[in-house]
Amino acid sequence: MNEPPPADAKLIPGRWGYLLLPALGVLLLVFVLPMINLGTKSLHLSTGPGREAADYTLQNYLAFFSDSLYWELLGWTSALGALVTVCTLVSALPLSYFLARTQSRLRPILLLLVIAPMLVSVVIRNLGWLPILGDHGFVNWLVLRSGAATEPFRLINNLLGVIIGLVHALLPFMVLTLTAVIQRIAPELEEASVSLGARPLATFFRVVLPLALPGIVAGSLLVFSLSISAYTTPALMGGGRIVVMATYIQQQVSTLLDYAKGATVSMILLVWVSALSIIALRFGKVGREA
Amino acid sequence: MSARWIVPALAGCILLFLVAPVVSVAVSSFSGGPIFVFPPAHFTLAWYGRIPSEYFSALLVSLEVGIGATGVAVIVGVPAGLALVRGYLPFSRALNSFCLTPLMIPTLVIGVAALQFANVIYDVFKLSLMESVLGLVLAHSAFTVPFVIRAVIAGQAQFDHDIEDAALSLGATPVRTFFTVTLPALAPSIASGAILAFLVSFDDVPVALFLGGGSATTLPVQIFNGTQFDLSPAILALSAIVSGGVLLSIAISGKIFGLDKFLGTGHT
Repeated sequence: MNEPPPADAKLIPGRWGYLLLPALGVLLLVFVLPMINLGTKSLHLSTGPGREAADYTLQNYLAFFSDSLYWELLGWTSALGALVTVCTLVSALPLSYFLARTQSRLRPILLLLVIAPMLVSVVIRNLGWLPILGDHGFVNWLVLRSGAATEPFRLINNLLGVIIGLVHALLPFMVLTLTAVIQRIAPELEEASVSLGARPLATFFRVVLPLALPGIVAGSLLVFSLSISAYTTPALMGGGRIVVMATYIQQQVSTLLDYAKGATVSMILLVWVSALSIIALRFGKVGREA
Repeated sequence: MSARWIVPALAGCILLFLVAPVVSVAVSSFSGGPIFVFPPAHFTLAWYGRIPSEYFSALLVSLEVGIGATGVAVIVGVPAGLALVRGYLPFSRALNSFCLTPLMIPTLVIGVAALQFANVIYDVFKLSLMESVLGLVLAHSAFTVPFVIRAVIAGQAQFDHDIEDAALSLGATPVRTFFTVTLPALAPSIASGAILAFLVSFDDVPVALFLGGGSATTLPVQIFNGTQFDLSPAILALSAIVSGGVLLSIAISGKIFGLDKFLGTGHT
């Protein structure tokens, strides 16, 4: 502590560190202790609604991994997450490319339109899908009027509804990540490719896409982990019929009061999401500023 | 069709998809006749006068929780963000990651942990945090605090320390320099972190579903329950008012604090 402070620490040098203590105290109380408590809950067997045995055991985890039902839950949630990620990526690419390359003066407004849905509460957004996707909604009105079908399509309160809702909720994250990355690819590279005779589509897939790959990976990992941890959208857009890890945990804890099982599945979801976040951090700060 | 038009056309369709549910809420809130039927039989303002009172009390609870959790976040998060950048702390990288860890945790898991910890608190101290605004403020602080810390750290990345040196060399005391130079320079970052923290708290369903209820039912939970049981267009009217209010306040704060700054730190 006797070293002279570095040049940029002249303002009250040496004492800044103490300012971290209040935050550490708060995080200890509202985050660390509850998480430790959750972890220990998963190490007790449930002995009835809201009660657990006193002795520690790994039985809950063994039960989880030896029951094919739970593997299915984990696999199914991840498969849904992967599908949502692919749909999000495919929809985000053209929009991000456009936003990154456009010279339009409307660009700030278009960016605002990308961000605006993120600012509207997720329950309200899901409510907004009902007049569009419902049996008597806008899409089915178009379909029935055009004569393409005689029965309305079921677009909501099922798996399709969950996918639409999740893609919509996560699309802005992907678009912002990809726009930032594509912006940093020199347009001259594309011009060179085109002038050498490559067609626009070939240029996109063989020049832009490989250069944007770090951003694509970072954005996809982010969207995938947000998608497998989502609760509200699967619960609302699935009409209570679609069970993913998050809705399963909610059911165990709130309805069945099986805190031990809820805690166990929570810990497994937590480990899975944390592993993905750590991989995403390895891919660095590629898509960090939009 | 040439490639020149395919990309803008696709981009336009996707933008349409993004704004569709937001526009839909606004339009449907004026729609008369049977609910969720397109095209609407006629347009009416009637729903705006029939918003059930429990939705207004839920809005009040949400505002209280959001302001409380954001207040906690600013009070402890701003000093922490300064400490992490300027403190030259031992294990600073580990401390940095630790402070941001809650942002990686699914909010549902934070909710389960908060509920079970509230039970422990009750068993030990006979203090009930269930169905209370205080409990929700504490539980939401788990993620609002890291949002503000992250914004303050990001804000200092582009900070020009010469302006502090200038103030000091011109004779200002360190405390005065801090409050008249450092803090105003960081204000946009603090504001964007606080706005984001407020929005995440205001939007939360899982934590409020576990810990709230009764007199501490937040607006998203009230709407969530409404959609499962009795769905009235009046809920759409309230949703339109709330969304409009949020978007307007963000647009105004974007203008005040500089939109680029807001976007830059808000969505990293």
